[in-house]
Amino acid sequence: MTNPSKFEDHSRRLLAFIERGSGLDETEFSASATELFALQFAHVAPYRRLCEARRVTPDSLPGWRQIPAMPTTAFKELELTSLAPAERTAVFHSSGTTGHLPSRHFHNARSLAVYEASLLSWFERHIAPAALVGRDSVEPHMERSAASISGAVTLSQESRFVRTSSVGSWGSKESRPAILCLAPPPEQAPHSSLVHMFAAVSREFGSQASRFLATVAPDNSWSLDFAAALAALRHAEQAAQPPVLLGTAFMFVHLLDALAQDGLSITLPPGSRVMETGGYKGRSREVPKAELHALLTSRLSIPRTHLVCEYGMSELSSQAYDRVAGSPTILSPLSSLFSFPPWARAVVISPETGREVAEGETGLLRIFDLANVRSVMAIQTEDLAVRRGEGFELLGRASHSESRGCSLLA
Amino acid sequence: MTLPNYYLADLPPEAEMSPALVTDACLALKRNRTQYLAIRDTPSILRTLVRTAEDWLEADYPYRKLALAQGPAHTGFSEPTIATGLDNFFRQLTGENLEALLVQELGTTQRLDAFCASTSDSRTRRTALATGPELVGHITAGCVPNGAFMAIVLGLLTRSAQFIKCARGGAFLPRVFLHSLYGSEPKLGACIEMAEWPGGSAALEEALFAQCDCVTAAGSDQAVEAVRRALPPRVRFAGYGHKVSFGYVTREALTGWRAKKIVTAAATDVIAWDQLGCLSPHVFYVEDNTAGLALQFAGQLAAELERREAAEPRGKISTETAAHIAARRAIYDVRAAHAPEQTRHWCSPDSTAWTVVYESEPRFAVSCANRFIYVKPVLDVAEALRGADPVRDHTSTVGLAAQEHEMEGLVKQFARWGATRLCPVGQMQNPPLTWRHDGRPLMADLVRWTDWEP
Repeated sequence: MTNPSKFEDHSRRLLAFIERGSGLDETEFSASATELFALQFAHVAPYRRLCEARRVTPDSLPGWRQIPAMPTTAFKELELTSLAPAERTAVFHSSGTTGHLPSRHFHNARSLAVYEASLLSWFERHIAPAALVGRDSVEPHMERSAASISGAVTLSQESRFVRTSSVGSWGSKESRPAILCLAPPPEQAPHSSLVHMFAAVSREFGSQASRFLATVAPDNSWSLDFAAALAALRHAEQAAQPPVLLGTAFMFVHLLDALAQDGLSITLPPGSRVMETGGYKGRSREVPKAELHALLTSRLSIPRTHLVCEYGMSELSSQAYDRVAGSPTILSPLSSLFSFPPWARAVVISPETGREVAEGETGLLRIFDLANVRSVMAIQTEDLAVRRGEGFELLGRASHSESRGCSLLA
Repeated sequence: MTLPNYYLADLPPEAEMSPALVTDACLALKRNRTQYLAIRDTPSILRTLVRTAEDWLEADYPYRKLALAQGPAHTGFSEPTIATGLDNFFRQLTGENLEALLVQELGTTQRLDAFCASTSDSRTRRTALATGPELVGHITAGCVPNGAFMAIVLGLLTRSAQFIKCARGGAFLPRVFLHSLYGSEPKLGACIEMAEWPGGSAALEEALFAQCDCVTAAGSDQAVEAVRRALPPRVRFAGYGHKVSFGYVTREALTGWRAKKIVTAAATDVIAWDQLGCLSPHVFYVEDNTAGLALQFAGQLAAELERREAAEPRGKISTETAAHIAARRAIYDVRAAHAPEQTRHWCSPDSTAWTVVYESEPRFAVSCANRFIYVKPVLDVAEALRGADPVRDHTSTVGLAAQEHEMEGLVKQFARWGATRLCPVGQMQNPPLTWRHDGRPLMADLVRWTDWEP
């Protein structure tokens, strides 16, 4: 049996941080991270073995940045959780290609509550319609972003993160937007952390008109219900009620392709917004991000400023966003700056040396997510990113297919 | 020394290639061939090739110096890696080897010059003449230049005009070789064209294929198949899809006096062209029972790679490629911590320069190249072949380290299984000039025979 009381202490403190909305300073983050590391070292056996092989133990840890990171691929092979089998009430799988083992992230009710608190809070900050939360609340984040780019990061983490509203208080019931999810409903995709997230934000922030607009096909792929999507979009257009569209890049491609096939465009009302996440993995034609965004603007009348990219994965409990909906372009139309909430930190690691890269350099993204309570907090991704201030610019998955030689099999 | 703008591949990268440009180049090549190349005889071609090869082996040959000075920036290989690779190739390019090649492929050395008879022809009272195609198109792949070098040699032997299309970033060394030929014999150089464009540029390739009477292509199976489909029916085709190679080391070899030499030789195979060739090993299978021979071999190989890194450094790689290696290492880091008896790994400190992974799982593993090698223990050949079964149709070379009395049994098993080349460990990336590429004749796809029954 694991030691639930200590995990509970951590969860409670983290929820208080999230609720408080004032962020964590370096000391708080460090204390919380090292404490969680000690717990996970003690209670996640395969993780402990990795740490011991690297000769890092809670007693010898120099700082939170040295906490050993677990590669995402290890979640396919090992059960990286402190939850005993009987305690696990949910498991999220990565959306890997068919025939490969998926990553598994186990949860119980309490860890799911932490996941939801984390995702709701940061989603609200980035996707909430500015009209409802007021311009003032948006500005601190914009200021941070601008400061990061100039390299003159002067605002402390504390002052940067100002809560706009408490979770669940996004406008009155009547003024809530329809949240249109280009994904199957949770009962059809119980192992998708993304669908769980969509369901949580729909429940918390969405109107009665919110819905899931896809189904799971027999081969486990997601199939867009175009008729339902079109009806929902048309309704939003006619009622002049700006919706929030959530989906993966490949589902947006399906939607745009279907609209194009019928020669249709929808003029969504001002304030409509899109949250787009994830790659393609061969499930639709690949469309460069700039082109996808241009199509969203031309087919759905959603301006670039209201297209928000999200970065997340089943192995994490927190997500990063590249803009606050409605804020001006941050870097350039082609690249944008992602940032995690204060309880998760991203560092960019040189693949050559394993050390953090300098500002402006490219490396592999490593995330320390305090909301990953019952699995492993430090996650080594295979995603390439450029270090930019406190945020990062995402370049995408390190390619496995391209090789200078001719000797690699597909 | 700078290379003059003579070939299409010399044009700056921003220069726009057009189908008309390709067609014009092909027509010029054919005219030049008629004037300068078709009239040449085999001995004179051999003299040119041998002289050029001898030049390339001289330390102060300007083209060699250029290749070594600018090669690292263009190709990503370090200077010592390029030097070793060039030496290996040009040492093979001797008159004796070229004549052996002609006899192997055509029965006699004069086949391309006059009607003549091989021993078997004499028995049937027949003579024959071989004629090369007017224009051969070569689609080469990757950054290891040997394929393009060999294409040029074979094309000259058959007195064919040639258009060589290199992969992006793969043109530099073949281009310098071509300039060296042009430097010694401009008229020969005028019968060969070289260009670089991204594979699958349909309009350019259509223009090229329309002019060729024979096309060779190397690359991924899909790329080769795409070329084949794009060819007009009259064009002859020789395709070389992607291949992998591995080594096999016997227990007896490792317990014998040559054990240390085998480790050095294995490292040579990993280091050659930074393991990026089709003939580079992905895995060394090592016979082992419980003696820990494979584990010991892996550790020694790591030490040897580390030692050699100083004098023969791995080339510069992109962040993406380094990330790929780092991600792969991370997997083995976890596995090694979890089950150290099944997985061990050795990594170059503070870099991705070399990696050795010992894995008890015998299933073949495709390495991420750039000096990343697997060592896997097996009981015997049968277990190795079962492990390598997924790449059976893609296997080129098996490097062997065994005692002499074991060899005969081994080579038969590997040959029956499907390997097309068996050689000593240490020579995997250094095939002889007469190597039957992927187990096929070298010139049969190029020449047209005329039999004369008097």
